[in-house]
Amino acid sequence: MSTLLAFQLRRLGRNRQFLFFTVLMPAAFSVFFTKVFAGAPGGISQEQAAATMVSMMAYGALGAALGATVRLSFDRASGWLRQLRVTPVPQTSVVAVDVAVGMLLTLPPLLVVAAVGRFVNGVRLEAGQWVGLVTVLWLASAVFVALGLLLGWALEEKAAGGAIGIVGTVLALLGGLWVPVELFPSGLRVVAHALPSYWYAEAGREAAAGSGPELLPLLVLAGFAALFAALTVVVARRRPLTAVAG
Amino acid sequence: MPALALDVPALDISGLTVRHGDVLAVDDLDLRIGQGETVALLGPNGAGKSSTVSAVLGLLRPSAGAVRVLGRTPSDAVRAGCVGAMLQHGGLPGEARVGEVVHLVRSSYADPWPTADLAATTGIDGLLGRPVDALSGGQRQRVLLALALAGRPPLLLLDEPTSAMDVEGRRAFWTTMRGLAARGTTVVFATHHLEEADAVADRVVVLAGGRLVADGSAAAVRSAVSGRTVRLTADRLPGDLPGVTSVTRQGATVALATGDVEATLRALLDAGVPLTDLDVRGASLEDAVLSLTTSGATR
Repeated sequence: MSTLLAFQLRRLGRNRQFLFFTVLMPAAFSVFFTKVFAGAPGGISQEQAAATMVSMMAYGALGAALGATVRLSFDRASGWLRQLRVTPVPQTSVVAVDVAVGMLLTLPPLLVVAAVGRFVNGVRLEAGQWVGLVTVLWLASAVFVALGLLLGWALEEKAAGGAIGIVGTVLALLGGLWVPVELFPSGLRVVAHALPSYWYAEAGREAAAGSGPELLPLLVLAGFAALFAALTVVVARRRPLTAVAG
Repeated sequence: MPALALDVPALDISGLTVRHGDVLAVDDLDLRIGQGETVALLGPNGAGKSSTVSAVLGLLRPSAGAVRVLGRTPSDAVRAGCVGAMLQHGGLPGEARVGEVVHLVRSSYADPWPTADLAATTGIDGLLGRPVDALSGGQRQRVLLALALAGRPPLLLLDEPTSAMDVEGRRAFWTTMRGLAARGTTVVFATHHLEEADAVADRVVVLAGGRLVADGSAAAVRSAVSGRTVRLTADRLPGDLPGVTSVTRQGATVALATGDVEATLRALLDAGVPLTDLDVRGASLEDAVLSLTTSGATR
């Protein structure tokens, strides 16, 4: 299993574009948004800088989790998953490695954006709050790992790349990761509350505020994760790895 | 790979039925292959070859019937490293190097083939450092062969293994296979290339419409089709020729399958047909398979 994990990480590491978009872009956004708001009359408060940072951490982690896991559809299309099925590598390891890779890949954007928040944008938190923030966002990113695996099983190779871009953008935009939900019209606010991305950022904001983990966001996120995981199992079962002809 | 009793068949298929939606791909197939045999699975597209191979590898769940691979269920046999396979739609992962893929698959087996020897045998020694995406069709096929052989499995299942190879690659491939078979590996391969079945297999199994229509040595299968083929170049032929069972036309060449060569030729001469480019032959394995599979399909 560790051989397979190393193998998968090495493959991802070769993909410079993936690393650029998942790690550097959220960090650049974080700086950009903070500086834009800082130029507004009255400047930017500590709270606003921290909120921007948390949103961008959430955005980066979401993108990384989806991007790392949807690649499953490429391996399905190339026939590699079929090939792997006829080796002694157990299926459970293949699934576990997919999850592990998704979870591992969310860490770099979380850490890089946090570091940019601290050292470039001057966000100040207690040590415990930093740890809590990163831990909560890291563990909760399992929701998007599950969603990415679901899309990777459900979509064909050609659709998957585009779908991930759109799903990521919709989740970020409507979940209030780019523009705070408080600025939404009330109708859109209802939509935001129906998205896992809103609750993900909410869990992060509460962790950053040091108010201890609130139950509601975590429960909602756990519900979404369970839903996506269950759907993934259903879809994967319905997808034979065999050729139909012949 | 634990030692196996020799009387356990490499493959034991009984009553295998595979459905893809409404399509009946394999229809109540019984097939038993002993250890050390080299068996060709022949048949046209849609005959059920790939579905049979997939069922044997545990890639699909049969609608009915049972498959035992060296005495185990298909998935147990694969997990235990008893089987190596080249799939028709198997593939290699992008963004990886050949050597990494080979290493990954080798390390999943308890007793893998040493890399240098494996690479030399399969002709990929120059490719180990190369990105998978930069391989040609024939090179990919050789890498897939290396993956199938990586664990030195006692049973090899090859589904159209040489489809992307040139003539030379094909020859080298079958030389390797004969070497493995000589060392006791059971080799089961599905193919369209009848000359491969003729040259390599010591047993030929012909499938049509998901059913077994012939099973025996290449010579036995060939002799199952009595009669000969009369070929000639002609524009027009009389309608009712004695002895003729089928007429196939390729451009100006007509092939007449006949049970009575003499009567057929006499009738042609009587009708004043010039016997241009006349050629009379016994049935080839191809004719045999064609005849078996067309009659099998209409059953």
